[in-house]
Amino acid sequence: MTRLLMGSAMALAVLAVPVQAQEFPKTPPAPGPLTPAAFPPFQETTLPNGLKILVVESHKQPVVSISLSFPAGAAYEPAGKEGLADMVASLLTKGAGDRTAEQIAATVEGAGGSLSASGGNDFLRVSATTLTPKLDLAFELLADVVMRPTFPESEIELLRTQTLSSLQVELSQPESIASRAFFKAIYGDHPYGRQATPTSVRSITRQDLVTFHGTRIAPSGSLLVLAGDINLDQARRLAIRAFRGWLGTPPTVRRPTIPNRESTELLLVHRPGSVQSNILVGNLTYGPTDERQYAATVANRILGGGTDSRLFLILREEKSWTYGAYSSLARRMDRGYFIATAEVRTEVTDSALKELLVQVNRIRSEPVSAEELEAARGALVGSYPLSTETADQVAGAVATSRLYGLPEDYVQTYRVKLGAVAAEDLRAAAESTIRPERSVMVVVGDGAKIYDGIKDIAPIRIVNAEGEPLTPADLAPKTEALDFDPALVVARRDSFAIMVQGNALGHLTSSVERTATGVRYIESTRLGGFVEQDSEILMSPDLTVQSVKQTGTVQGQATSIVVTFADGRAKGEATTPTPEGMKTVTIDTTIAEGVIDDNLIQALLPALAWGPEAKWTFTTFSSSSGETTSLTLAVSATESVTTPSGTTEAYRAELTGAPQVSSFWVSVAAPHRLLKIAIAGTPIEMVRITP
Amino acid sequence: MPPTLSRRIVAALALVTLALYPALASAQEPARIALETYELPNGLQVILAPDHSAQVVAVDVWYHVGSRNEVPGRTGFAHLFEHMMFQGSANVAKSQHFQLVERAGGNLNGSTAEDKTNYYNVLPSNRLNLGLWLEADRMRSLAITDENFSNQREAVKEERRLRVDNQPYTGALFEGVYAITDSATCFPYAHSVIGSMDDLNAAETKDVQAFFDQYYVPNNATLTLTGDFEPADAKALINQYFGSIPRGNEPPEVTCNQAFNTGLIRKVWPDDKANLPGVVIAYRIPDYAHADTPALELLGTILGQGESSRMNQAVVREQKLAQFSLTAANLFGSRRGPGLVLTLAVANQNVEVDALEAAILSEFVKIREGGVTEAELTKAQNLYRTGLITQQQQALVRAEALQSANLFLGDPEAVNTHWKRYTSVTVNDIKRVAQQYFRDDNALILLITPEVAK
Repeated sequence: MTRLLMGSAMALAVLAVPVQAQEFPKTPPAPGPLTPAAFPPFQETTLPNGLKILVVESHKQPVVSISLSFPAGAAYEPAGKEGLADMVASLLTKGAGDRTAEQIAATVEGAGGSLSASGGNDFLRVSATTLTPKLDLAFELLADVVMRPTFPESEIELLRTQTLSSLQVELSQPESIASRAFFKAIYGDHPYGRQATPTSVRSITRQDLVTFHGTRIAPSGSLLVLAGDINLDQARRLAIRAFRGWLGTPPTVRRPTIPNRESTELLLVHRPGSVQSNILVGNLTYGPTDERQYAATVANRILGGGTDSRLFLILREEKSWTYGAYSSLARRMDRGYFIATAEVRTEVTDSALKELLVQVNRIRSEPVSAEELEAARGALVGSYPLSTETADQVAGAVATSRLYGLPEDYVQTYRVKLGAVAAEDLRAAAESTIRPERSVMVVVGDGAKIYDGIKDIAPIRIVNAEGEPLTPADLAPKTEALDFDPALVVARRDSFAIMVQGNALGHLTSSVERTATGVRYIESTRLGGFVEQDSEILMSPDLTVQSVKQTGTVQGQATSIVVTFADGRAKGEATTPTPEGMKTVTIDTTIAEGVIDDNLIQALLPALAWGPEAKWTFTTFSSSSGETTSLTLAVSATESVTTPSGTTEAYRAELTGAPQVSSFWVSVAAPHRLLKIAIAGTPIEMVRITP
Repeated sequence: MPPTLSRRIVAALALVTLALYPALASAQEPARIALETYELPNGLQVILAPDHSAQVVAVDVWYHVGSRNEVPGRTGFAHLFEHMMFQGSANVAKSQHFQLVERAGGNLNGSTAEDKTNYYNVLPSNRLNLGLWLEADRMRSLAITDENFSNQREAVKEERRLRVDNQPYTGALFEGVYAITDSATCFPYAHSVIGSMDDLNAAETKDVQAFFDQYYVPNNATLTLTGDFEPADAKALINQYFGSIPRGNEPPEVTCNQAFNTGLIRKVWPDDKANLPGVVIAYRIPDYAHADTPALELLGTILGQGESSRMNQAVVREQKLAQFSLTAANLFGSRRGPGLVLTLAVANQNVEVDALEAAILSEFVKIREGGVTEAELTKAQNLYRTGLITQQQQALVRAEALQSANLFLGDPEAVNTHWKRYTSVTVNDIKRVAQQYFRDDNALILLITPEVAK
């Protein structure tokens, strides 16, 4: 059918193609010549109020992408108000001019467009896309969100709740702990070294938001980039009309200089119970206009920029120490940095760190092979046009080059300069920008297991996840028993609905029975067909655990745990899901007195001595991994909780120390009933159904 | 690796989450795509659509083979074969295709549907030759070995376990709906793309070779280039790389005789992974080239895409019977055979499956009896047009659109005209197609019940 219709045109065309008797090549053809980058030309103008306008014309499709950037990133936040710039960005589109958040969204979508804002380290950017006929409306909305945001209290509180929840997750993840420690160590007191904390986010007031917006979001020093179906005259006319009456210059902010380190330092962040170690090695580099960036970029690509780079090939493919190992160069207005990272199994932490340092040193000292150089240049030069294919992508690239004050022709010459990097330029740039002798090495992991192996690599400093100093003696695992009243563990049956974004997708039931030989705790979970889990824990009359049995399926894969406890030892086998798939571990380990099985925490909550300031630190044993972990349960607030049986005053307590932070709500009135459980950073909540 | 089914699921989810575009008529037209077509002596169709706005080229090969070409006892074979295409060829080692394209700064993938299997490479324009060479090498000399075959068969079985067998509702969506087609008269469209586990187990290496010889021949493929290239240079390379691949036998014709209005099919679909009941309601519609397709697709949008869609407003928000619902025509791609408009809804806790079924059916009845408003139609048309305009900035999207116009409409040039059939649909057209196709005796209803399958 298809062929018949195409037939006659093809017959003619075939005649036009000379039939050549060329052989099919046995090797991939060499790249064609690198044509001079035909980056779309751009034009600039500046309005009387100081707003710079940059236009990238492309009339292929009737669409325009817009970005408006301000020097208003996190680097401009007052000390103690970390997180402010991000909150301002998020709130710009949540009420502006005469429109509410819903009305802004409805208007934008009605025009078939998009509008959003985001905060970065140096800049805050508002982005929009619109079809050409809706340009007037796009400018009207853009002007409203930057000039007339309303910062409604309800939106502020909603955003604060979301921000605190995601921060809670961030602070429990080893990769975040590692990067936060890294930035603090290399940037020190400079704002780049500070990050949002729950305290700083809670302290941000509406007035802080209004003030930050009022001082930083101003026309002078900002850049409006338009890419697509528009020309400079139109852009100027639209901007003059939309932004009339907008004046101001953000004050110059003097930031501390960022000194080089004189020596290297190894920072061990002790995270007891970690089964992996997160390794970060890096150093300060250069400002955004440094000419070494082209050669350094190619060097980085060879060292660790991709899945065919040295770090990946050696640490993952050859040694199987890690799932991934990479390096990168970051651009920052005041000064950028180099970083190499790997997440490795605990037992190979020292080997991996040493090998990583070998590779970092090698890229500085040995010339790269011609083949590596060609592959790296090819990937970098080649992917650039793919990353600037659409008007939207072009706008982003041009905006970045202008905001950082890169050379006028940066976007046009970037490919050519990368393609021209020679082996010796590369080595020289690597030597002067990748500086292990001035680096910070951060290792987040179980210090008790890794300290001896890494302590001689560099002068070492030990801290806990909160950054408080520790000594090597503090690393030894300590056992702390949970203080509870066994008499309060009484026969009962509880039932919870598992809610995902307000929809019940499953349930959890548990029961405590007093048996002839002691206490039996049974728990059963069903979640949306994905998770099924049944547990039975047998305890002696004084609640010493005797056995844990658990069976279930997670996404169709069978899980099982059978562990018995006797004479201070736990023995058994556990098959459970891990990020790398199902894993079976044989458990045969000493269990100190007072260590409780982590499956029991929920059962013991009613037996704790609750109060507004209550806090417990205790050691748990995980039957799934065979590891012991120190957990902390602390009351953070007293809140009203509504369940199907009514509204109840409850203590809210956070359980930290485990990979997943959970919050528990337990009734203030005795007997203390567990009312609700939330898992931070997920939409999952378990709400009590039984009265 | 080629994640065929995942892309279909992602596409389905993208439809669920599509933003709402209220009704403001826009007269903007998508830009015209200039193109040229020809055929090599060995039968390879070539579509060239140069556009120098970015230094990017897309090399996109469609083999006109899919699950519709499979025979009883070998379902799932077209998709299994797609995996084989990444296992190396005479001059390309296993996984070297990925490495070469990535080192060139590009990206690639493949996917299988009922009517076609596609393979694309997006590259910087000075590496056009690499994309062409890689596609030519595997078209001329795929490495079909027992070892490659058995490990890819395991990979496909794993994909099936992961994406169909272990997910709630996907069994009904990816397999159950095929019951709307009568396998006695139209086997090609009466079985799933992923295929049955038994058939996958029964497949042998010699079947792979036979499939390759039968369908992976230049006279059953179309090569499309879009983006930044000079047609004369491209033609020379295409001639050099593909010209000497021998023409194969013409693939056998696929026959399908599916009648409409053959009686309601209503059955229970036990789903041991589902925790809550769900309903799938599907209606037979004609092949993609049929004049009613634009109206049916717009109707699918009005019924089931976005916050303000009929199903969402009525069944999810007002009656609170479902957690979510989704309605679309030809959800998983166009077909040269009978297609379907499909609704999937997952019930809220404590909602009986019959109540959900009745609520969905009543929305179809309302459309049939009352049609849609001008505003609803305009919104759906705007949604269609905005999608077209923004997406066609990318070379790969243009290449796929050309391939689709060629295969399903018989002419790649239709890419420049077909959209007008959507913008000229009227509310009367919508009402007419609703009355014609949304009939109880033309429907399949699956009542998904969260029971353990026996």
